Amino acid sequence: MQSDYNTHIKRIVLLLVVAAVLGFLAKKFATPTSFGKYGHYRADAIQDEVDRPLRHMTNESCLSCHPFEWELHEQGRHKTISCEFCHGTYADHVQDGKFAGRLPVKKGEEIKTLCLRCHNKAIKARPKDVIKTVEMPRHLEDQHVQVTHICNQCHHVHAPLIYINHAQKVLGIEEANNGKQ
Amino acid sequence: MESSKFAIDKDRRTFVKNVLKGTIAGSLLLVIPMGGASGSLEVPAQIPGIRGRKYDMFKQRFAFIVNITRCIGCGSCCVADKREYNVPDGYYRTWVERYIKDFDGNVYVDCPNGGLDGYQTPRADIPGKVRDTFFVPKLCNMCKKPSCVQVCPVGATFKTPDGFVLVDKERCVGCGYCIQACPYSVRFLNPVTHTADKCTWCYHRVRKGLLPACVNVCPANARKFGDLNDPESEVTRILASPDVITVLKPELGNMPALYYEGLRREVVYECGP
Ligand code: HEC
Ligand code: HEC
Ligand code: HEC
Ligand code: HEC
Repeated sequence: MQSDYNTHIKRIVLLLVVAAVLGFLAKKFATPTSFGKYGHYRADAIQDEVDRPLRHMTNESCLSCHPFEWELHEQGRHKTISCEFCHGTYADHVQDGKFAGRLPVKKGEEIKTLCLRCHNKAIKARPKDVIKTVEMPRHLEDQHVQVTHICNQCHHVHAPLIYINHAQKVLGIEEANNGKQ
Repeated sequence: MESSKFAIDKDRRTFVKNVLKGTIAGSLLLVIPMGGASGSLEVPAQIPGIRGRKYDMFKQRFAFIVNITRCIGCGSCCVADKREYNVPDGYYRTWVERYIKDFDGNVYVDCPNGGLDGYQTPRADIPGKVRDTFFVPKLCNMCKKPSCVQVCPVGATFKTPDGFVLVDKERCVGCGYCIQACPYSVRFLNPVTHTADKCTWCYHRVRKGLLPACVNVCPANARKFGDLNDPESEVTRILASPDVITVLKPELGNMPALYYEGLRREVVYECGP
């Protein structure tokens, strides 16, 4: 009689113990090992983020294979612009230090769009001390050329004043741009 | 024209030099591998003091400063960001807003395609006389007290000991609470991974001593990133200078680590396109 009276309690206690053990095991297996090392998160997630592959490099990364363009660019007014902005990412071009894919090269009207993205005077918000802007087609009319001219017919894309400075020197005009390209 | 004659001349020389230098160097490098992105990095470090020593996460402090008065709205940063992370179309980890103020105190804000295509045309739908226009780049504010971390039910979004708020793709269940909680609207649900995604200040680049992709490409030096432990860094100098430095929505108490120089009143309390 006594034992009969206890059975259901024993069952409940047993059930609770089993549930606790299962719960403990489940938590142990479901929680990643590094969880809680630094806080309420998986510490290894930091390393996962660190291991994300780089797609952009820096302008320096182009030097070894394109020393001519690099030097021209470095000496010119455009040295603050990223090669990869105009051309595409390093990762699409070079893999494991070897050439892996072609980068597109802009031509014609695309170049005009590219230049005006930064130099369009019509967008009033461009601070004068940061960038010089031009009004189209007035800029071309000022040069007395047809308005169909593309910017790189007079400006080298990598050193926008190199031709102009040279032409001015040839014509005996004083170097208005202090020789900067 | 004198200049175009020179141009042709120059181009011929350019071509020859190209063949001599470019191609020969190029083909040599096809043979000699440079280590590549995975191994040792060939490119010089952009942030001094990160490479070549043990990285102590508990000691590092960084800051990001955006100078509104230098931004030209070219959208280089937006392009770099999209390419660095292959961000799906229609989602932006960073974007550049255009603000236009008229003489009646109205403020017009637009942000076509997040600034990815730059700003090619002026806005034509402003009735009044325009007083002032300027660009405002936006990105993760890396709050010192991030509300997104507070609401995450599974510990998938967190603040690292060095102050970066990151998302653990493996744990995120895509519930979207953090997206709701972010006062700066920088988070979105990535349609490819189905997890929360946002700007990380390019943590993977910073740990390799490189600047965040957007800072690296900015042609106007409007975006600055640096080490606050380095007394020589530009960000340390700016934050120690008497210049006015602002954060967005300071009244919320999130304490952003993203600072703005030259920010206007209209922007500080407003947010989102
Ligand atoms: C490992 C050497 C290597 C590196 C590093 C490298 N390139 Fe190149 N690049 C080449 C080679 C080789 C070609 C020629 C491909 C061809 O003509 O088929 C080339 C061609 C190009 C072209 C012209 C493509 C064309 O169709 O004419 C551009 C633009 C270019 N590279 C940009 C870059 C930029 C920007 C970087 C730096 C981010 C870079 N390259 C870094 C090897 C390299
Ligand atoms: C302002 C945008 C811009 C930047 C910055 C820029 N390029 Fe270019 N690059 C162009 C354009 C546009 C062309 C093609 C038109 C031309 O050559 O006039 C080009 C052409 C090239 C070519 C192909 C040359 C040829 O004759 O086929 C190479 C290689 C190249 N660039 C490398 C670089 C490297 C390396 C850098 C960085 C040091 C760089 N570019 C920076 C816009 C740019
Ligand atoms: C990503 C933005 C950007 C693009 C694209 C760009 N530029 Fe520039 N450019 C600049 C900046 C910034 C400067 C000023 C650099 C400085 O003064 O330090 C500059 C300087 C110049 C200058 C010299 C102006 C002066 O007197 O100081 C000329 C000319 C020029 N660019 C022409 C061009 C042409 C042509 C193109 C198209 C091939 C072009 N730019 C594309 C950003 C850009
Ligand atoms: C016919 C030749 C020619 C063409 C084409 C041309 N430019 Fe120029 N550009 C010049 C000359 C010459 C100057 C220098 C003017 C001076 O020093 O007063 C100049 C100056 C500039 C400057 C500096 C302006 C300043 O205030 O100092 C910018 C920016 C510029 N050009 C951008 C462009 C862009 C963008 C395009 C294409 C849409 C373009 N240019 C097409 C000849 C040209």
